[in-house]
Amino acid sequence: MKKHRAKKGCASPGKNQVSELLILPDGQILVHNLTPAFAGLLHKLNPDDEHISSRVTRPPLLRSGAASTPSPKS
Amino acid sequence: MICAEPIIQRRNASGRSAMARERARTARAMLADCRLCAHDCGVNRLAGENGLCHAGAEARFFCAQTEVSDELELIPTFAIALSGCDLRCDFCITGASSWNPRAGAGFDARAMAVKAEAALQNGARTIMVLGGEPTIHLPAALEFVSLLPETAKLVWKTNAHGSAQARELLDGMFDIWLADFKFGNDVCAQRLAKVSDYVRVVEENLRWANEHSELIVRHLLMPGHVECCWRPVAEWLAANLPDVKVNLRSGFWPAWQAARHAELRRTVSRPESTRAVDLALRLGLNLVP
Repeated sequence: MKKHRAKKGCASPGKNQVSELLILPDGQILVHNLTPAFAGLLHKLNPDDEHISSRVTRPPLLRSGAASTPSPKS
Repeated sequence: MICAEPIIQRRNASGRSAMARERARTARAMLADCRLCAHDCGVNRLAGENGLCHAGAEARFFCAQTEVSDELELIPTFAIALSGCDLRCDFCITGASSWNPRAGAGFDARAMAVKAEAALQNGARTIMVLGGEPTIHLPAALEFVSLLPETAKLVWKTNAHGSAQARELLDGMFDIWLADFKFGNDVCAQRLAKVSDYVRVVEENLRWANEHSELIVRHLLMPGHVECCWRPVAEWLAANLPDVKVNLRSGFWPAWQAARHAELRRTVSRPESTRAVDLALRLGLNLVP
């Protein structure tokens, strides 16, 4: 029987904000669908990360968050 | 000599909405003999037939939210991901939704336009339509464009595997084409994405996009594919589109069915990433973050 994997992406499109991350053994974090809120969180965890900080310092959003390592969306 | 008027009119300075509305109707009629992508299936999607993408007549979406992971000049972007795709990339990070045009929720262009406008008011810089592959849902995408403010900066995120007919309908609709150039040769394209004649089609689309809009080319660096895929892509860009913006992305992760291919069961190594960037710099590519 084929094994089913968890679905990726927005589980309820338009209702929830979703980011996905992959933490590598060397400590690198890859992020997909980086939202402003998640970028803010990652920035707080590591303020020296230039990949993240460049994405947090965008014009402020009033209602939603954003930020983290460039995603490999393709 | 009498020159016939082109069937598809070019957009004037302030007429995007009206033009998009008209083209959405044209695009919908074209679903009766669908040749929107380069697979050129010719199936009647209005009658329930399915081509290689398996998409029906109605679009669905699996994600719509403001994001900041795209190119810095585009973010924050309100990104709308339409379900379904004409390619079958085994490593697709959204494979479950990208391979399934029935995934997600029904796409209501009017409701989505309201959300997009709200996102713009809340600080989003651009609105991005992507997939899966949005080209297979051109009628819905154009209807969506027709409902947006003329001043909204629109990004068309594509696999660059669309047809000439699709390009005509897209002319002048989006400010920026954000186009993937995934494979540097047809063997890798066939093996990893089940697509033939890939390189010729993508190169043709990239040339067109560069002439008709602003273009950013993306390459997702794949482990074990620096020489066979990135090198030819980089060399072609340097020779043919030397000033175009290029985003080399090294954040590959082994998603979806990547494990079917031994070399794709890992992330990109630091030496690979360094080698890829060095090549880009040697070729003088215009890399953007």
